Amino acid sequence: MNRIFLMLLLFVSLSSINVTGQAAKNDQCFICHEAIGDKTAQLYPKDVHFKKGISCAGCHGGDSRLEDMEASMDRNKGFIGVPKGNKISDACINCHSNEKTMKGYNSNLPTDQFDKLTKSVHGKLSTTGAELIVQCITCHDIHQIRSANDPSSTVYSVNIPKTCSKCHNDAVFMRTYNPALPVDQYIKYRTSVHGMLNAKGDSKAADCKDCHGSHDIKSATDIRSKVYPVNLPKTCAKCHSDKKYMSGYKIPTDQYEKYSESVHGIALLQMNDPGAPACNDCHGNHGSSPPGVESISKVCGTCHALNAELFSNSVHKAAFDKHNYPECESCHGNHEIITATHELIGINEGSSCINCHKEKDDPGFQAADLMRTLIDSLDAQNEFAAKLIYEAEQKGMEVSEAKFLLRDVKQSRFEARTLVHSFDTTKFNEGVRRGLSIAAEVSGEAKGAVDEYYFRRFGLVVSFILISVLIVGLYFYIRKIET
Amino acid sequence: MKKIFNKIYDWLDHRVDIQNVIQFIGKKYVPIHSHSVWYYFGGVSLFLFIIQVITGILLLFYYKGSADYAFESIQFIMSKVSFGWLIRSVHTWAANLFILSVFIHMFSVFFARAYRKPRELTWVTGVLLFFLSLAFGFSGYLLPWNQLAFFATKVGTDIVGSVPIIGEPLKIFLRGGEDVTGATLSRFFGFHIALFPGLFTLLLLIHLALVQRQGMSEPVEVEKLKPAEKKTMPFFPNFLLRDLLLWLIVLNVLAVLAVFFPAELGEKADLLAPAPAEIKPEWYFLFMFETLKYIPAKTLFIDGEVLGILLFGIGGVLWLLVPFWDKKSSKGLRNRTITYIGIFAIIFIITLTIIGFIS
Amino acid sequence: MSEFLSGVKNEKKELNTRRGFIKWLLGFGLTGFCASVFYPVVMYLKPPDQREIEVSSVSAGSLSDFEVESSKIIRFGNKPVLVIKTEDNDFRAFSAICTHLDCTVQYRNDFGVIWCACHNGKFDLNGRNISGPPPRPLDPYLVAIKDDEVIISKKD
Repeated sequence: MNRIFLMLLLFVSLSSINVTGQAAKNDQCFICHEAIGDKTAQLYPKDVHFKKGISCAGCHGGDSRLEDMEASMDRNKGFIGVPKGNKISDACINCHSNEKTMKGYNSNLPTDQFDKLTKSVHGKLSTTGAELIVQCITCHDIHQIRSANDPSSTVYSVNIPKTCSKCHNDAVFMRTYNPALPVDQYIKYRTSVHGMLNAKGDSKAADCKDCHGSHDIKSATDIRSKVYPVNLPKTCAKCHSDKKYMSGYKIPTDQYEKYSESVHGIALLQMNDPGAPACNDCHGNHGSSPPGVESISKVCGTCHALNAELFSNSVHKAAFDKHNYPECESCHGNHEIITATHELIGINEGSSCINCHKEKDDPGFQAADLMRTLIDSLDAQNEFAAKLIYEAEQKGMEVSEAKFLLRDVKQSRFEARTLVHSFDTTKFNEGVRRGLSIAAEVSGEAKGAVDEYYFRRFGLVVSFILISVLIVGLYFYIRKIET
Repeated sequence: MKKIFNKIYDWLDHRVDIQNVIQFIGKKYVPIHSHSVWYYFGGVSLFLFIIQVITGILLLFYYKGSADYAFESIQFIMSKVSFGWLIRSVHTWAANLFILSVFIHMFSVFFARAYRKPRELTWVTGVLLFFLSLAFGFSGYLLPWNQLAFFATKVGTDIVGSVPIIGEPLKIFLRGGEDVTGATLSRFFGFHIALFPGLFTLLLLIHLALVQRQGMSEPVEVEKLKPAEKKTMPFFPNFLLRDLLLWLIVLNVLAVLAVFFPAELGEKADLLAPAPAEIKPEWYFLFMFETLKYIPAKTLFIDGEVLGILLFGIGGVLWLLVPFWDKKSSKGLRNRTITYIGIFAIIFIITLTIIGFIS
Repeated sequence: MSEFLSGVKNEKKELNTRRGFIKWLLGFGLTGFCASVFYPVVMYLKPPDQREIEVSSVSAGSLSDFEVESSKIIRFGNKPVLVIKTEDNDFRAFSAICTHLDCTVQYRNDFGVIWCACHNGKFDLNGRNISGPPPRPLDPYLVAIKDDEVIISKKD
């Protein structure tokens, strides 16, 4: 039934394509409706479809050539009146999903928008259960549909945030679909760098569609979504890594490159750990903006809580604030954060400490030296214990207990590394000592196992000799009784 | 000291007539000839069996035969019980040496035709003991419940399952179900520590009683010599002391092996893990395992594996019944076929075992 | 040696070995043999310090070891297990290995959650991951109280 209807509509619409843009002039629907002051008809001349010569009948059906009202709006001739629900989008896809028809209008528009829409988060049934949540006109407007490149279009970059927020800002409406979804994206967006540029009419700044997609929007928790954590960096990089595109903005374009080699980028992009931070976890998403110098430790602290807490209570907090040094970033960098090695502290080249604590009699310089020595010794002890365990295992000894304890050494090492951020040598020393004492216990046990191994050999030699004595004795005894 | 000993001896003698036994032993002689060395392997096998019984009982004190605890209890024996590692390693090594020694003993008897009349029953019980030894090895291998044992048992019982008609029910009986599970472990544990030792002891007693009753067999050539030309050695104490001496050497070898190559434990069996790349059975099954691989998949409508098992089955039965079809030897005639069969069997076993190890 | 074993007599004159020396050899050897066989066996039979394997259940200590809202990390096989006594005197036990990157988690009675210091991951007292990077809940263990002892066992 539906198909017959569509074909009929197609026929009608094809027959109404009167080749030239002049068509509307012969469009009896338009002529009449405009004459009687119909508001929708008055809007239509600005519509891109009017300009392409498409009659009212293109969507509404009927015969636009006939002057007679009854005859032109005859339901038998395919007139459908005002379409409702999915019929609305049906009228659009009639042409927009048909490559041939679209070619006929010299259009290069893709023809898969509706297909994408039905697979998107908006392509589900609405609360009534009778239609999709979103129809084409929800975003593209009715009777005054413009090309997306037309600054007055509802889907022109600068206007998109408003268009989307029509629903997404409406708490009452949104809770009927997803009560947990925030409705403040628009407000946040306007505080972001993107949103502010957008408000100034910059169509290059990211709007909703640049991150979420347009017809194919997926829920952010959908693994195929452009904003799913694992996919997000690529989405941001689409613009931010494009030198030409970003040329007017005076910011670097190597963040993605740096990020993807950072400890976070490797965790997220290579190890697929969705818990690892993507761009938005530090910069915010809708309100995206580089974190301020003094808030870096708070942002990093959402995951690195202890480090941030220790730092905030340390002597460095006030000092950094005073000199306006970015907190974590000063030592760890930002996009290129690599796994922190012990090279970062101490007084050797490559250490961050000596950037400020340059003098030998500076207590900071001495503290840095001490901390480096301590953490290095813990590392060495940890390695030593692990080696001994390995050796014992290679000798076939059972050292599962020591191996279990080695976990605690590793944990202490973690803790000690965290304690660096207190920049308090007493506290740090305590932490390291704890690790060292467990490491000593582990080494002791592993050593015992290795010793046991040698004891076995010794025992073997003794018993071997004793039994051999008996063998020799027996040999001589047999000789004796046989002579 | 001597007085007390004599008193006890008298007391016993009055009641059970020890005199008689000692007289019997005193009259027992072992023939001496150039092949006498082979006589010792029966004794060595017996010694290793005794070691297996003792270490087996010791292991039982700590071992737990269930899927949940088996692996852990062995880990416990190896690490927490003093000298547990030694007891387990000795048990493992003695098992291997036992089978090796039984192989040698059996083939030496075969080549010497010692199975010929009147010792047919000694041979039959001996071969049955050999089969039981293999069963001991197979069932004991699973008990540590590690990955290797688990899959070896899986493959092993699968082969049993491909025997026509009785294979499938037998496999299910062995496994205690469709698959190798904790139920299989319980069964194998029962076989290994109760059923097999019971059967083995019974057969062994018959075997030894027959040897004592009939005396040592002499090779055909020696038997034909005149009594004056024959050399003998008293069984007690001369031969027995030599036996003891050899046992002590074996004990030393065992100790060295146990210390330098202690039994490994591996990873705990994981029923869902993929099979490790290289599953090989114990070395004494390797030649059969390897043979099955080389038999073409289909021969005359028969499945390659089935054919292999049938051949081994027939071979086993023929081997068991050698004294009944080798009539020549029983009549004191030369039978070269036996020598050829024996040499072929040894070359076959050694070659395929080596191939199995290399591949 | 094979000559000796086969009993074929060596015609060479026997060396004059002293009776006493052989006796000494036999006596000493026999004693040594007994020692090297029985010592390991006796030591083996001596009950080990840890009486039994502990795989299915492990004692986490006595009830009195636990204050309300306190916790303890115990060894279970090769894995650490976190045992918590909650506000309402309830015992819970979970694997103490964070499901994110294998750090050891701890109970924070100030927040009422299980917390991983490495990346601020949080689990509720049912072991569910409630915030931060951990991708899945902690594996639970069973807790039973026998007499005065808190016993942890594996959940099947």
